Amino acid sequence: MELPIAALDSAFSGGVDDFPALLRKRGLLAPVASVPNASANAAGVQQTQATTILAFKFAGGVLVAGDRRATAGNTVVYDRADKVLEIDRHSIMAIAGVPATAWEMARVLEHSFQFFRRTQLQEMSVDGKVRALSKLLRDNFGFVMQGVGIVVPIFATFDTSGEGGARLYFYDAMGAQFEVTDYAATGSGSPAVRGILYYENHWGKKPLADLKEDDAVTVALRALDTAAEADTATGGVDRNAKIFPVIKIVSRDGINTLPDKQIAALFKRGVA
Amino acid sequence: MTEEPYRWVEAIANRREYIETQLASGSPIAAVSFRDGILFVTRGRARQKLFEIYDRIAMGGIGHPGDIERLRMAAIELASTEGFTRSAADVSLRRLAFYSLSPVLKAAFEQVYGAPYLARMLFAEIGDTPANDLFLRIEFDGAIATNGGLLGDARREFGVVSGTAASTELMETFLAREHNPAATLQQAFTTASNAWIVGSMALSESGTRELPDAEAMAAYRGEHAASNQVEAALLERGSQTAIRYRTLAEHETRSLSAS
Repeated sequence: MELPIAALDSAFSGGVDDFPALLRKRGLLAPVASVPNASANAAGVQQTQATTILAFKFAGGVLVAGDRRATAGNTVVYDRADKVLEIDRHSIMAIAGVPATAWEMARVLEHSFQFFRRTQLQEMSVDGKVRALSKLLRDNFGFVMQGVGIVVPIFATFDTSGEGGARLYFYDAMGAQFEVTDYAATGSGSPAVRGILYYENHWGKKPLADLKEDDAVTVALRALDTAAEADTATGGVDRNAKIFPVIKIVSRDGINTLPDKQIAALFKRGVA
Repeated sequence: MTEEPYRWVEAIANRREYIETQLASGSPIAAVSFRDGILFVTRGRARQKLFEIYDRIAMGGIGHPGDIERLRMAAIELASTEGFTRSAADVSLRRLAFYSLSPVLKAAFEQVYGAPYLARMLFAEIGDTPANDLFLRIEFDGAIATNGGLLGDARREFGVVSGTAASTELMETFLAREHNPAATLQQAFTTASNAWIVGSMALSESGTRELPDAEAMAAYRGEHAASNQVEAALLERGSQTAIRYRTLAEHETRSLSAS
């Protein structure tokens, strides 16, 4: 699309270039280094990784939860990472993989949806949103092949148009999207989480879809605690420092981030 | 032509006259600060005139739809790029208008072999209090009128845009007299709708310099209320979310019009 400002004056930046970009335009700063055609592991780079996210549909919408740990190899880098990111009023992207890439993707996605709404004067459709994330993942696949920046997200949204309702997707690193009816989990702790969610869905007191909010949160906390038990890269619940997973719920009313207090109370009652 | 200064001035004057004629029928837009936000009100014929630009910025435009569209897109692109590379807090209406849109409009207007923008726009940016709300009217030649508050200027908590200067002035006189920034949504809606009537009456009776009396306004409202659809949009002050813009639904404007 032609920007009228550029058409009028090619030297006019409109003040939107960031300062490094302006310096580069004038030849005062070295260009951005291109990614070498070698694997990052060969260069001895330990990438920071975020792990274990889960999402499932319940009576009140979709619950999305993520532990707080970020690791690089055997090192715990950060214990308060937020892997459950709000993209717009009704969409959440949860990330497992390299946060540097994932947070940038989330930022691009958030701004793309808003840009679409503002310019086109209508909300982007759920299919359009799902596809937008898929495309970002595919654009990133070159980096993944070089051993940097793998991201495996979950996307949860509530389709407010017509009878849409709660929609839940997970992706692979190449950008294939898979819509799920009940639950999804990705990241290093996900085998344990999937086991628990499968069990709860089939043989629990109620299928996941019929759970009330408190019970749904309890299931999510139990699943993450179980994942942390065997997987060092999953933080689970830090009982000493009182660090709880991030839990958000998407429904017709929008996104509700559960306060730590509520999670702590449910943890005490149903998990600890 | 441009080698001869006199002919250039003449060409610019002709062009100004031509654009003013083209804009003269534009339906007025009034925007007012009130307790809970900024309310934009207009009555339209067919097409949308109020738009969301960014989290805290809205725009109303009159003129050629194609030109409004190009300027709207430019404003959104500038604000979005800024918001993406830096942060939403760094997107400022003042910079957008003074340093980005105004030079472009001025250049297009003065390049006499190219087409000027047939557009006049009203922008508003919501602040924490009505005293921090900003209103800017940008003309087709890049001139900008603000709601004052600088250098001891009397500050006005509203902004208007209309087809003619006379109509704009009357609307401003009316709002300066009637508008209260502590108003509720209902009061703000009534005042802004009345300002639209004042502006619209001034457009149909060219030459009027006086505010119409209440009876004349009521009669005019009676004649035009049915034929013109109300379009209204809000920038919400207390909203918990970053995005403050919201279009008022038809049932909302209907119930606000009724009281």
